[in-house]
Amino acid sequence: MTFSISDSGLNALVDEVIASGTTVIAPALVKLSAGERREYQKIGSAQKMALTGAIVSNSLKPFIMPPSVPLFRYTRAKAAVSLEPATGKAQAAVVIGAQACDIAALEIVDRVMDWDYHDEVWFERRKATTVISLACTQADASCFCTAVGSGPDHPRGSDIQLLRKKGGYLARALTESGKAFCSKYGSHFEKAGDDADRDPLIKETREKVETNLKIDLGAIRSFLTRNFEHELWNDFGLRCHGCGACAFACPTCHCFDIVDEPEGITHGVRRRNWDTCQTAKFTVHASGHNPRKDQNSRIRQRVMHKFQIYPERFGDVLCTGCGRCVRVCAGGMNLLEILKVLDKSAEAKS
Amino acid sequence: MSIYQPHLMRVDGIIDETPDTRTLRLVFKDPALAEKFDFKTGQFGEYSVFGAGECTFCIASPPTRKGYIECSFKKCGKATSGLRDLEVGDEMGFRGPYGNSFPVEQMEGGDIVFIAGGIGLAPVRSVIWNVLDRREKYQNVTIIYGARTTGDLVYKRELEEWSRRADVKLWQTVDPGGETCDWKGQVGFVPAIVEKAAPSAKNAHAVICGPPIMIKFTLPVLSKLGFSDDRVFTTLENRMKCGLGKCGRCNIGEVYVCKDGPVFTAAQLKNLPPEY
Ligand SMILES: Cc1cc2nc3c(=O)[nH]c(=O)nc-3n(C[C@H](O)[C@H](O)[C@H](O)COP(=O)(O)OP(=O)(O)OC[C@H]3O[C@@H](n4cnc5c(N)ncnc54)[C@H](O)[C@@H]3O)c2cc1C
Ligand code: SF4
Ligand code: SF4
Ligand code: FES
Repeated sequence: MTFSISDSGLNALVDEVIASGTTVIAPALVKLSAGERREYQKIGSAQKMALTGAIVSNSLKPFIMPPSVPLFRYTRAKAAVSLEPATGKAQAAVVIGAQACDIAALEIVDRVMDWDYHDEVWFERRKATTVISLACTQADASCFCTAVGSGPDHPRGSDIQLLRKKGGYLARALTESGKAFCSKYGSHFEKAGDDADRDPLIKETREKVETNLKIDLGAIRSFLTRNFEHELWNDFGLRCHGCGACAFACPTCHCFDIVDEPEGITHGVRRRNWDTCQTAKFTVHASGHNPRKDQNSRIRQRVMHKFQIYPERFGDVLCTGCGRCVRVCAGGMNLLEILKVLDKSAEAKS
Repeated sequence: MSIYQPHLMRVDGIIDETPDTRTLRLVFKDPALAEKFDFKTGQFGEYSVFGAGECTFCIASPPTRKGYIECSFKKCGKATSGLRDLEVGDEMGFRGPYGNSFPVEQMEGGDIVFIAGGIGLAPVRSVIWNVLDRREKYQNVTIIYGARTTGDLVYKRELEEWSRRADVKLWQTVDPGGETCDWKGQVGFVPAIVEKAAPSAKNAHAVICGPPIMIKFTLPVLSKLGFSDDRVFTTLENRMKCGLGKCGRCNIGEVYVCKDGPVFTAAQLKNLPPEY
């Protein structure tokens, strides 16, 4: 079902959603000492939305899987213990103007959170969130979404997809929840044809990203399966500081720790916190033995998990090509370049 | 209830095995759950002390003994120190059972050889009692157990009991220099004692658990004795947090140890990257 919505209509819609008490998350401008950046934020008015500009600096991960989330509270009284659910249930939320790479990530992580055991800590927020994406027109040199099965205008994970056109947007309602949203706020939408004058920038952006990286994911996967031991890992490992910034910035990295946070002798909270395979502590045994004892093996794990381990179990890859790990790395580690090298090595071997 | 919320259990008994190793007997606080709870031998759980956190241990008691579970652990960090401070009657948390198990049914009708080192006897003990409680289903049972010193042997009362049974062949050993003057067992490292005991591989399975170095040197001995890699079972102890295939910590190659393990055959281990 496709509609169109004008610029002023979208602003009015966002303000109406906010007024109804629903949380709205959208890219907003943040002023820095030098320059500015766009950041997904909970916004208080449509005025705050910044739907175009540079690639959004953070991902949507913090909104579905907060960096630290309470699992339950405990109280001890002498020998007895009582447990109660942590306060703060997931609030209904609408994400507006999200990039394709960020919403695709949600669907990719869903699979991990839903195999065998259903992780309601993830799905509680996930299901309460309606996702309205906006076809991307701002790719930079670090973007490679088209190389990993996504693309600036890929709808994967969207309930509604917006595409820029003159004076407004096309709105494609793609899921039941997207259709329900469009009919609930029907006064702002008009019926439209599916490709009524889309902004040509969308197509140009796709073409630009396609020139950033072209690889054969299947060949890379089989190269990785055969090359757990390879000198390349040493080259990559030497650059890496093991800081984990790449994993925290990444929309698909989902590793976590579980820790108790006492608030006194008798009571406290058990929390789930972001963690990363890039630190030595992640795998160290109680005996002191560490099966992943150097940075080479840790950076290998990150690459393997994304391009070999996840694909073997769930299909696709654990990466949406958003380029954030490339932008944040202080060591100059560049996943886009790593993939180029792996692709070349895979080709040379076959 | 969240998959991360433990069931409450009460400490029902404490046995100090060695100066740093302790066994806790635990019973479910909720009688309905106690009735319903079941597990398979080789599965593990996440044990909580509220305020100190969670840690991973195998269930050291056999599923053939109902109404309680036991864990044996070495004090080595935050959560294990917290567990160590518990007294009889205190409540703690348990999530589980998780992971796969030793295929004891598949082993029926033949011989079983148990090989363990140090605290590695904990998961093996669950299998041993499971087998001994259904003794008629198996042929020869051999147990080879070693520790650094006589003081480090765990489950001393059970070792005593097994040594007296006519239907169990028990070999106990301590590392050279670890013996006391009244020590009647063997002196030597586990792989050497396995070679000396030379259990028959015919229609037999082996279950082995202990420090990585012991496993590394025992596998070739078993191979020499004629045990094929798919009849030798062991259990891995990669660091874990969730036990549910979510947190990513126990991942080795394509395997999540918490979901696809912790029990693996020697043949499966040979196909894994050496990250355990
Ligand atoms: C399937 C499975 C079964 C197991 N079964 C048993 C069993 O039956 N019995 C048993 O005793 N153990 C068993 N273990 C091991 C057990 O899980 C660990 O000993 C236990 O989790 C330690 O918990 P802790 O909180 O006390 O240790 P922690 O406080 O987490 O610390 C343990 C060790 O981790 C390292 N460490 C922690 N924090 C840091 C840091 N900041 N920097 C550097 N190093 C650090 C140190 O080496 C420290 O000694 C099993 C493990 C698995 C996966
Ligand atoms: S790759 Fe870069 S960002 Fe990631 S851990 Fe290494 S140094 Fe940090
Ligand atoms: S690995 Fe890098 S490019 Fe891929 S999704 Fe994560 S941050 Fe984005
Ligand atoms: S322990 Fe969390 S994934 Fe295995």
